[in-house]
Amino acid sequence: MQETVADSAKGATANEVSPRGSERRKLLAAPRASGGWRLGDWPAAWLLIAPVIVLFGIAVVFPLIDTIRLSFFDIKGLAKPKYIGIGNYLKLFADPAFRNTLTTTLIFTLATTAISVTLGWLLAMLCAFAPRRTLVFRVMIFAAFGISEAVAGYMWIGIFRPDAGGLLNTVIGLFSPGFSHPWLGDPNTALWALIVAASWGGVGLPLMLCFASVQAIPRTVLEAAYLDGARPGQIMASIMMPLSLPGVRVAIFINLLGALRAFDIIYIITGGGPVRATETVGYFMYRESMTQFKLGYGAAATVVLLAAVLVISVPAIIQRTAGAR
Amino acid sequence: MIGRVPQWTVWVVGVIATIWVIPILGIVVTSIRPPSEVALGWWRLDQLSFTLDAWFKVWDQYPLAQAFWTTAQLAAIATVATMLLTPAAAYAFHFLKFPFRRLLLIIIINAFVLPQQVVIIPLFQLWRELGLIDNILAVLIPYVGLSFAWSIFLVKNFLEDFPKELVEAARIDGCGPIQTLWYVVLPNATSPIFAVGILQFLWTWNALLLPMLYLRTNIPLPVMLTRVSGTYEVNWDLRSVAAIVTTIVPLIVFLVFQRQFAAGAETRSGAKE
Repeated sequence: MQETVADSAKGATANEVSPRGSERRKLLAAPRASGGWRLGDWPAAWLLIAPVIVLFGIAVVFPLIDTIRLSFFDIKGLAKPKYIGIGNYLKLFADPAFRNTLTTTLIFTLATTAISVTLGWLLAMLCAFAPRRTLVFRVMIFAAFGISEAVAGYMWIGIFRPDAGGLLNTVIGLFSPGFSHPWLGDPNTALWALIVAASWGGVGLPLMLCFASVQAIPRTVLEAAYLDGARPGQIMASIMMPLSLPGVRVAIFINLLGALRAFDIIYIITGGGPVRATETVGYFMYRESMTQFKLGYGAAATVVLLAAVLVISVPAIIQRTAGAR
Repeated sequence: MIGRVPQWTVWVVGVIATIWVIPILGIVVTSIRPPSEVALGWWRLDQLSFTLDAWFKVWDQYPLAQAFWTTAQLAAIATVATMLLTPAAAYAFHFLKFPFRRLLLIIIINAFVLPQQVVIIPLFQLWRELGLIDNILAVLIPYVGLSFAWSIFLVKNFLEDFPKELVEAARIDGCGPIQTLWYVVLPNATSPIFAVGILQFLWTWNALLLPMLYLRTNIPLPVMLTRVSGTYEVNWDLRSVAAIVTTIVPLIVFLVFQRQFAAGAETRSGAKE
């Protein structure tokens, strides 16, 4: 992993200093050493990719096109679908529940990403001062990332539960006796409880990516700073933090995408409640289509989710498309 | 690593790491203490006894063993299918020339942005028409189909650095394209294929949404976990055991292969060039 992340960090830095504009386009268009070299024999090629094309077609292309198509129909149960143009979208943006969903999605996505990436980044800096002695701690934090979201959900229900068995209330109760708050039952705190639970699992990856970025900093740079009399705090702020930005950027993108698409953890911890206060677009879509059987309406919400995902993915898509040789 | 290391940094990281394992510790302790004791908190020490009651009871009360078997089957089939089909396609995309090659490649590797939610409605309708609801194919097809977006990208990335002289030499010696794949490329590309397998295994083992919607009788562990916890009686002990059973296999795989996982997760989300 170290090598891979270090390479990508190098790649990203090289990208920044590479020439802009037309010159850069020329560079992208020029075939690399291995680019133009390919063997013929396309029947064999089609034989090799045929299973992939079939499965990809059923599992990705068909659902994508069909979701967009269905979003223009009014479908109720088993009745014949009725074409209503952009009716579903008009209804969606007039629906207070959906408009509320947009705000919830924005808060959940941004807060989860901000908390997990900031914490992971800072921890990576601290770990970089003593890589050996913090190895076990890094694994402990990273382990949370390896726990399935459904299981993590139940762990956090145990912490937020309002009765005597709830850990959070007990800890706060140590400082203000008699304290009790139904964290998941109160619409004002349920979303933040969810954000904390999602961030818990989300810290591991930024920690590992940023840590690898810091490890990739040449020793000589750090030694020079030390010889010049820089204090650890200065080394962290002026060398480690700026030079680990490529790792931070990757982590932000991954966690944004993950939070935007979140479903399992919301389903387990709050089920979208109380009073729909924790429904994100990805959850709203499930509720409308799979529990209310409004398939067309749910499809329209999915298209909105898709649009949001595409907007934040534009740089990654451009990068991948340019790199596809 | 550099001169004076401030001791407090290790302490801060240690404290945070300890807080981080508390939720995990909570379900482990809850699963081995009698429910009457942990009703006031699993951390309380005024009465301390251990019991494996819940560990025995949960298998009788819920078909957890069957769910474990179903999950293992699903994860194994999906993992093997991805590990077989991905390298073949990545090889064709990288070393062979055929019509629409670049277009197909661009479409496949950019599909990583799609949220799972996109497949729910269309496949639900399709499986209902074909009578595939409650058939394991209903989840296997999307598991494998959705994996190509990141798996082909990961393996093809590896092949960019594969010495093309080896492939050329094989061709000159009379290997056909498929023989070249089998005898030259595959034996030298085991590390990315293995990484793809680990990622796919973890993803399919932990999947909740698709099996919850498309399977009814033979349900995998995460869905079974929601049923164990879904009853009205408060059964924290059984719930904890089911949670541990659900996550123990992927957690061990994850910790053993964490290096591959971090590199792969990065590729999977498309952030890496």
